[in-house]
Amino acid sequence: MTTSGQAAIRARRRARFAEVVREIASHPSAVIGAALLLVIIVLALLAPVLMPMDRLDVTQVTARGNESPSGGHWLGTDPSGRDVLGLLLWGSRASLLVGFSATAIAMVIGTTFGMAAGHFTGLTRAVVLRIIDFFLVVPSLVLAIVLSTVLSRGLSTIVIAIGVTSWAQTARVVRAQTLTIETRPYIERSRALGAGDRHIIGKHVLPAVMPLVMANTTLTVGSAIILESTLAFLGLGDPTTFSWGSMLKTALDTGAATAGYWWFVLAPGVAIVIVVLCFTLVGRALEAVLNPTLRAR
Amino acid sequence: MTEPTLLWDDVRITYAGGNVAVDGVSLEVERGGTVGLAGESGCGKSTLAMSVLRLLPRSARIEGRIVLQGEDVAGMTWGRLRAVRWTEAAIVFQGAMHSLNPVRQVRHQVAEALALHSTKEFPDSAARLRRVDELLALVDLSPAKGRAYPHELSGGQRQRVMIAMALACDPELIIADEPTTALDVVVQAQVLDVLNGLVRDRELTLVMISHDLAVLAAVCDRIVVMQHGRIVEQGKAQQILTAPTHEHTQELAAAFPIIGDPSSRLVVGRNASPGSPGEAGVSTGSTAEAGRAVLEVRDLTVDFRSRGQHVRAVDHVDLTCGAGEIVALVGQSGSGKTTLARTILGLQKPTSGQVLHEGKPLPHRRGALKAYRRQVQYVLQDPAASLNPKHTVYEAVAEGIRIHGLDDERERVIRALTRAELTPPEKFFAAIPQELSGGQRQRVVIAGALALDPTYLVADEPVASLDASVRGEILALLLQLRRDLGLGALVITHDLGLAWNIADRVVVMHRGRIVENGAVEQVLLDPQHDYTKSLLAVVPSKLGLR
Repeated sequence: MTTSGQAAIRARRRARFAEVVREIASHPSAVIGAALLLVIIVLALLAPVLMPMDRLDVTQVTARGNESPSGGHWLGTDPSGRDVLGLLLWGSRASLLVGFSATAIAMVIGTTFGMAAGHFTGLTRAVVLRIIDFFLVVPSLVLAIVLSTVLSRGLSTIVIAIGVTSWAQTARVVRAQTLTIETRPYIERSRALGAGDRHIIGKHVLPAVMPLVMANTTLTVGSAIILESTLAFLGLGDPTTFSWGSMLKTALDTGAATAGYWWFVLAPGVAIVIVVLCFTLVGRALEAVLNPTLRAR
Repeated sequence: MTEPTLLWDDVRITYAGGNVAVDGVSLEVERGGTVGLAGESGCGKSTLAMSVLRLLPRSARIEGRIVLQGEDVAGMTWGRLRAVRWTEAAIVFQGAMHSLNPVRQVRHQVAEALALHSTKEFPDSAARLRRVDELLALVDLSPAKGRAYPHELSGGQRQRVMIAMALACDPELIIADEPTTALDVVVQAQVLDVLNGLVRDRELTLVMISHDLAVLAAVCDRIVVMQHGRIVEQGKAQQILTAPTHEHTQELAAAFPIIGDPSSRLVVGRNASPGSPGEAGVSTGSTAEAGRAVLEVRDLTVDFRSRGQHVRAVDHVDLTCGAGEIVALVGQSGSGKTTLARTILGLQKPTSGQVLHEGKPLPHRRGALKAYRRQVQYVLQDPAASLNPKHTVYEAVAEGIRIHGLDDERERVIRALTRAELTPPEKFFAAIPQELSGGQRQRVVIAGALALDPTYLVADEPVASLDASVRGEILALLLQLRRDLGLGALVITHDLGLAWNIADRVVVMHRGRIVENGAVEQVLLDPQHDYTKSLLAVVPSKLGLR
């Protein structure tokens, strides 16, 4: 490839990227979602600075348990006297980490299976489709619970359990897109030039399904975070790390909700709602931008 | 003098972004007149026609006056405009497939116009459906066809439904926008007959748009030729067709050659000059006949199974293509031409029979098939769709080179682009398909095929979706390649004029069988089979003369 050619391609990609950014900027809800997300991610990264771990050490806390919100503890304290805001900050790290990495796993599996189900015919397609159908109909929560009990405890187990159970939707969407792409005459031309399966999938199908996968990613992150909280709430999470789900579990175990310590129940709950909402807002906008047929006219 | 039905007075139409589609057009259509608007895509003919009913997108700015039946269109209120649409002027849209609702029976769609505009004459749905039956009869369709869904009708029948719809409210003026484009010759002749009859019997005023002068001449008295938003020539249909004066009209006329005219035999487009060509063509033809057979099809049959029914697309076909020979495979749509081509390329498995390349049967193993595909290349119908919109020209041409792992990628790409007359090649490297014109895109597809140094080309309707002047360029390129590289081609087409233009031999296919096969002059000037005769009878250039 010539340097001038590459420069031109880069320039066009930049232009396309700028166009996508402009389009997203025209959705006010997406801008709000993206801005909030950015703030949350920055706060999660800065958690060790803002709230050093030793201030959450049960042996060193000075506050009493279940203190209501005050100037010293903006969101009050938990039953062991730890600062709820601090727990929330540290919990966001686990939630976001699990959300992103589980989604990455789900996307890789979903895209691969989706393209395989769309591209191949005959036995391969039948087998792949049945596998996708299996994961679609099995309730993912139940499967994730089974997986996290069977595997050793820890954050990576949660990531794997969520990743393996939430790719089937993506696979279906990718398969549908693959099928439309495969009917295009340029695929026929490519075949007539002598192209094999690998070339067609890699050069033509994958770039065409990528925008769809990107939009799907943001939507899946939200549901992965919910699933993580659920698993932690059910006591299947990593007991050594904080997460929003485990905070809710502690709240339930210590009867915080019934005792009127609302700050300990509401804080992680609202945090989950906000993060998932942000991802959904951005994801919807991204979907509309990358898939012009959904765009309002 | 009576008032004209339709009058454009110095009309200028500009789209957002300063794109001038129509540039100062003045035109009068008298009552009962039939006017054909000719020109290439993008010349503003459709924009001009749609402006009559204010059907243009909101971004269009119209200057000048458009007067319909003595009333200025721009001054009409919304309610008045709604009443005028369909009752005074109706449109037959192009692409009947896309203009009909696929999930409703066509009679209800025709009745829709009646329900909106003629509630007094046809108060209830029974009366409206009776009227629909009358309308369908006008366009030679039985009332039973009204109960069909669009996909159950053929292209020609759908187009006739569209015409019936336009006639529903007895309009004074009918605007037909490319009513026969995308229809094959036989069906085209039927639709033109229907339009002709209606104009004669009902004294309609007709404005018809087409890029094919011969089609316009078959229906219209007067032809107006447009280029870049301006009228460049107008006059009596016969005069425009036979003695065009403007250069652009000559180009349009030359694109649809008259079969039997030696000046358009094996020469294409603007360089067509009488005298020189005939002998040259005959001599290349005879050398080609002496050449060895590159491709051979022996007793080939291809069946499709759809909803439990067997359809035989290709029925015991034998065919031989010699080295450096251009063979035209002619037939109506649905005759199995494309299936035959795909089977020859190994893209479709034959039910029985064989395809031989250089005397050896087509391999089934992938590796061997890949080697075969380097030798025989495919050029598809629609260049816009046969290039990946995300790939640059360089990537599109280099695709085959990369698949086959050949070295000197850059040199090969430059050579292929130069051969396809895209010069200087470096200028096109970084372009993506949407930045190119239709003709340039088809050249890129051809360059992609040439990059592998093939010995034979299979081209499926290579110019069917291209403009008239570009059509000539691409056909000239095929002839040029044959002259320079000895590259033969199997050209699939429904256009007998194209066969006359470039082919050595014509093969006529009908319902999966080959009904006639022989040298161009012999088949086209002295057809033996009834089907060939019927195809020749409906060639537009003949329609215009009858």
